Amino acid sequence: MDSLGRRKFLTGAVLGTTAATVVGASTMGSFAPEAAAGQRRPLDVEAGAHDPNFIEGRITGLRKGMLMVTSSDRSMHRIHLTGATSVWKLRPTSSDAAKVGDGLYARGVRMPDGTLAADAVWLNIVNLQVHITSIGRNVMHLDHHGDRIVGHVVAGTTAAVYNSTPAVSDLSLLQVGKHAQVIGAWRPDTNEVDLATVYAAA
Amino acid sequence: MAAPPDVGAMAPTTAETSWFCCGAGWGPCGSAGGGACGNCQSGSRHCAWPNTSDACFDITRPDRCGDNLLRRTCGHTFYVEHLCGTTEIAVQIADCGPQTDLWCGEQSCCSGNCATNRLLDLTPSAYSAIGNLSSGIMPVRIRS
Repeated sequence: MDSLGRRKFLTGAVLGTTAATVVGASTMGSFAPEAAAGQRRPLDVEAGAHDPNFIEGRITGLRKGMLMVTSSDRSMHRIHLTGATSVWKLRPTSSDAAKVGDGLYARGVRMPDGTLAADAVWLNIVNLQVHITSIGRNVMHLDHHGDRIVGHVVAGTTAAVYNSTPAVSDLSLLQVGKHAQVIGAWRPDTNEVDLATVYAAA
Repeated sequence: MAAPPDVGAMAPTTAETSWFCCGAGWGPCGSAGGGACGNCQSGSRHCAWPNTSDACFDITRPDRCGDNLLRRTCGHTFYVEHLCGTTEIAVQIADCGPQTDLWCGEQSCCSGNCATNRLLDLTPSAYSAIGNLSSGIMPVRIRS
């Protein structure tokens, strides 16, 4: 779907003219043949510039289908969640998972009234480069640039990727003292995260 | 044996990329700061490059993975696209990173196409324009 088509699609979703059963749009760009043939589209945002179609912040209010968000620079935003919005909170989930106090990143399309029609919302997502300082039963203690982080293993969700191999639920190859990359969901206002994926060199 | 190509020149290369937060933020990102260049923001099209200075290179050491990266400093522009995508974005260097030598030989693939070694980090704004933040890492094509 090209950017004009995506804009129409999300506008339709916000206005209720698009079927609500569609699943999230691709963020990887078009799969159309002309795109595969190597035609480059103009840049959507200049290098170094603020991205108008992206919002970072914390949820300060919820209304049906709408998130009120305050960014870390104190700017305030309204984000539409539609049937086409993909939502992640530790795992792919639904918009019902959004709670006041959650941190988020959101990407979508700006509507004429300044609101954002969201393609995708990531709730509380963190990506941390850490060292593993201890491993316990269903918990790992992590050093993140000198800050202590408690990582919780979530049965059925937490996975490890060792040396680029496919993700597995077996965490037994993780070692104290080694570095790792953690994708997880922050528990708001704590130093704790629920672990989604741990990348490690075994 | 021929020397490895200089990465950071006009010719495109493939590499892995991850994402990092910078500037004001919530949670563990609250202490991230503006990066080595002082202006890094999660909501802007910024990136981190492993060879922005001698001090930066001493930390990241891409040479230990066999990558001969050119010195590129704050404000330099790279063009990046997912190895299996068609959307190209432009990003400016605003920080030093990633620590390439921690992940020598690591490989990310899509549709049978693979990229090796972490040579670039993107802000959440940039990463999410061409991939999914929950993936944590993805293969990309980079040109300068």
